[in-house]
Amino acid sequence: MKVPIHQFYELKMEENSGSAPPTSALGAQNHNGGGGGQQLFGSVNVSVANNKHQQLGGGGINDVDITGDNKEQSPQYSMPGVLHFLQHEWSKFELERSQWELDRAEFQAKIAFLQGERKGQENLKLDLVRRIKMLEYALKQERAKFHKLKYGTDLSVEEGSTGETETDMTTDGGGGDTETPFSSISNITWRQGRQLLRQYLQEIGYTDTIIDVRSNRVRSLLGLNNNQDSEDTNTPALNGNESTNKKRYRHPKYPKSWFSPKKEGCNKQQPSSIAEAMILDTEAAVMANFEFLAHTDIDMEEEDNDGEDEIYDSNTDAKQNKTSIMMEDVDAEAEEVLNELNLLTEHEESIIHVDLDSNDWNSVRRGMQPDSSRRPCEESGSSLGLGELAQLTVNNDAEAAYDMSANNEEACRRSWNAKYTLRSHFDAVRALVFHPTEPVLITASDDHTLKLWNLHKTVPAKKSASLDVEPLYTFRAHTGPVLSLAMNNTGSHCFSGGLDGKIHCWTLPSANIDPYDSYDPSLLSQTLTGHTDAVWGLSMCHPRSQLLSVSADGTVKLWSPASKVPLLNNYTSELDKNPTSVDFIWDEPHKLVVAYEEACVIFDGETGQVVSRLAGDATQGVNRIVAHPILPLVITASEDRSIRFYDHRSASLAHSMVAHLDAVTSLAVDPNGLYLLSGSHDCSIRLWNMDNKTCVQEITAHRKKFDESILDVAFHPSRPFIASAGADALAKVFV
Amino acid sequence: MAEGCISFRRTRPGTKAKDFNRWPDEPFEEMDSTLAVQQYIQQTIRINPANIDLILSMPESQDEGVWKYEHLREFCMELNGLAVKLQIECYPENCSQMTATEQWIFLCAAHKTPKECPAIDYTRHTLDGAACLLNSNKYFPSRVSIKESSVAKLGSVCRRVYRIFSHAYYHHRNIFDEFENDTHLCRRFTVFVTKYNLMSKDNLIVPMNDITEMNEIDHQ
Ligand SMILES: [Zn+2]
Ligand SMILES: [Zn+2]
Repeated sequence: MKVPIHQFYELKMEENSGSAPPTSALGAQNHNGGGGGQQLFGSVNVSVANNKHQQLGGGGINDVDITGDNKEQSPQYSMPGVLHFLQHEWSKFELERSQWELDRAEFQAKIAFLQGERKGQENLKLDLVRRIKMLEYALKQERAKFHKLKYGTDLSVEEGSTGETETDMTTDGGGGDTETPFSSISNITWRQGRQLLRQYLQEIGYTDTIIDVRSNRVRSLLGLNNNQDSEDTNTPALNGNESTNKKRYRHPKYPKSWFSPKKEGCNKQQPSSIAEAMILDTEAAVMANFEFLAHTDIDMEEEDNDGEDEIYDSNTDAKQNKTSIMMEDVDAEAEEVLNELNLLTEHEESIIHVDLDSNDWNSVRRGMQPDSSRRPCEESGSSLGLGELAQLTVNNDAEAAYDMSANNEEACRRSWNAKYTLRSHFDAVRALVFHPTEPVLITASDDHTLKLWNLHKTVPAKKSASLDVEPLYTFRAHTGPVLSLAMNNTGSHCFSGGLDGKIHCWTLPSANIDPYDSYDPSLLSQTLTGHTDAVWGLSMCHPRSQLLSVSADGTVKLWSPASKVPLLNNYTSELDKNPTSVDFIWDEPHKLVVAYEEACVIFDGETGQVVSRLAGDATQGVNRIVAHPILPLVITASEDRSIRFYDHRSASLAHSMVAHLDAVTSLAVDPNGLYLLSGSHDCSIRLWNMDNKTCVQEITAHRKKFDESILDVAFHPSRPFIASAGADALAKVFV
Repeated sequence: MAEGCISFRRTRPGTKAKDFNRWPDEPFEEMDSTLAVQQYIQQTIRINPANIDLILSMPESQDEGVWKYEHLREFCMELNGLAVKLQIECYPENCSQMTATEQWIFLCAAHKTPKECPAIDYTRHTLDGAACLLNSNKYFPSRVSIKESSVAKLGSVCRRVYRIFSHAYYHHRNIFDEFENDTHLCRRFTVFVTKYNLMSKDNLIVPMNDITEMNEIDHQ
């Protein structure tokens, strides 16, 4: 133990300022030194800290300081010196500890971020698979049709070929098993190495913090690693290689560049997804432990012997390059572990080490972020070609699928955050609708008005991340609460239904209008009269510019607002009263579906006949019904907290789920038909994956007024916005 | 389904206009929402819009600033109804200025420099401006507690929106009477601003005989 003398001195002055004689020079203290004190401190060990009280009490003894004599004898300690040293050390540890805790929190945040990214990637993958399957199915149908047209017989050969595909897929599954031994070996060695480290650390009574920080990270990543391995194995197996290739093909993928940013340039095969980078990071860490602690190089050497042309078709030179880079970096990794061990002797090192660690993370993020926005669709063949995707036998359609995914990519990767708060209504906002192209929306409220908002015209709100938007225009004509909204496909007009039974057609003013311009009565271009009670639902069929309305008077009406006689048709179901919601069926646009109090009824829009009627417990209390834009599905939101999916062709229930903690009030499907948004009186909006019906995100968005909370939700038809309308008189837009 | 279930105070789609927000009353003490004051005010109005004393009697231990604020929100909201009626017959051609008695011409304060807006524009601008101010995150970030400096802003809002009543009374009497008959809004407003000293009595130019009497009683 080395203790700087001047530190002793300063400490002494502080401690003794009350009792000790004034000391102006080091020399003046020399006579204070007592042999007794010396002997006492000669035997002091670490546990002396416990005696702190007593010794501080004995002021005389504490006066002991370093004397000339003491310097000559070998271990020279003084009580305050030791105390100070201990205090110093202790505060240093505390400092380090808090530092580590900080780092740990940071890592946890990063982990959460990465896991989120991973989820996004998985969702993307699922979408791609689903789309490919859809296209495959369509292709099959087309082929069958073509075949039938050409040869007049049913298709049987093609059927056989798809059968083969399926057997391929099942054999692929076998590849996964062979992976296990390898990963379990590395797991064991990793665990051994960790055990060793822990032993060392425990020997000197060191805290577990450092181990925990690292092991948490590694373990959480390793969980992913194992999954990913088994998925990866499908690729070589599909290519007809034996499973022994696996280790080899996986190897060049270690992008050591993540750990040493300077090599980023020369490594051609950069990971293109966050998830992959995570695996690589973990593998590298595992490998480092593997090599350093167990001294087993066998696996690595083996790998060079096999030819890997079949998998990595391109240049073998590059392969050589990569391998050497990899080796170098494994050394770097080993060094890192060494550093970690050095911690045991040199505490100062630890902070540096942790910094180094976080640099790695930064470089990972730096490397990744620009990529993640575009890579998934460019390289999905190789990098995102995860198991299921690779199994599919799609040839010509693959590109189309990727093109389509590019549109949705934005939607599925993101997590939505509240950005705009629309505050200007005095009472519950019942409905909202987006402009088809502009960042503009209209809200309708119990305060009898509609308001027009331009999201690009914001006022900065202090101390909050969200932006306040002031309304551009207030539409006044209803003599009661406004309950429903719809907009035409050009965004030139919107329609509002009110408790007063009126449907008003509004011309939208310019999105740059002065909010305090003079009143232009002509903006109310038309009023559709016919309903005798509250108009609760509107739905616009864009191609035909037709409008559907449901009213508490029990009728459903079809309008053509531009015509001289706007009312086109009237639909009533003899068995049902009180329609609550209506929508066009998009894949068969001559049909419409109406939710009534007791049942859901599908009408033929032209004849007005009831096509089918879904009745039963499940169809009671439906608050909202929407039709899927692509699939033959209608989706209902009901008072019993459930969302249900019906196949409207067979009039059968396809799926049912309890979706919220309270009544579900509103639904919206994104323009691509991949996501469903629901709002509920439980104050939350939830985003659902249409494919597997899982909740992707939940956002608590509004407060309650009486027992009402969220009254409407919407997707922007062409921009990445979602919105919710609440009984708390607010509307919120999420990006 | 939930219709039979009395415990929910909500209006489901499909509800007839006459049943809109028609649910069992809830005692103010049991309202735990941040919007409790608004809920309570609207509930007492729904029971009987003519019972102004009940509507304006503040529950005990209620913060007075919030109470005044929520009432003013309700007034502005209901004034939309009067504005809708005025839009039908108050044109810039016949009401080119905001006047009540011919004594004053009111300038519209919604613009950067006060402007001599036609009466209908004044009405709309004043209501729109009040909606922005009363919903402003800067002045009224919360609906459960309000800064004293923000409460001070309520008076000027009251003065401005009152001119809508007075214009309707002196220039569109049929509209005013029809609206007042349904809502008792001007009477309620007059009692409100008098009770909480938000406007000077000289400015209350729409005659409300019995209220003036009541004020005199108050003064004694
Ligand atoms: Zn007028
Ligand atoms: Zn004006």
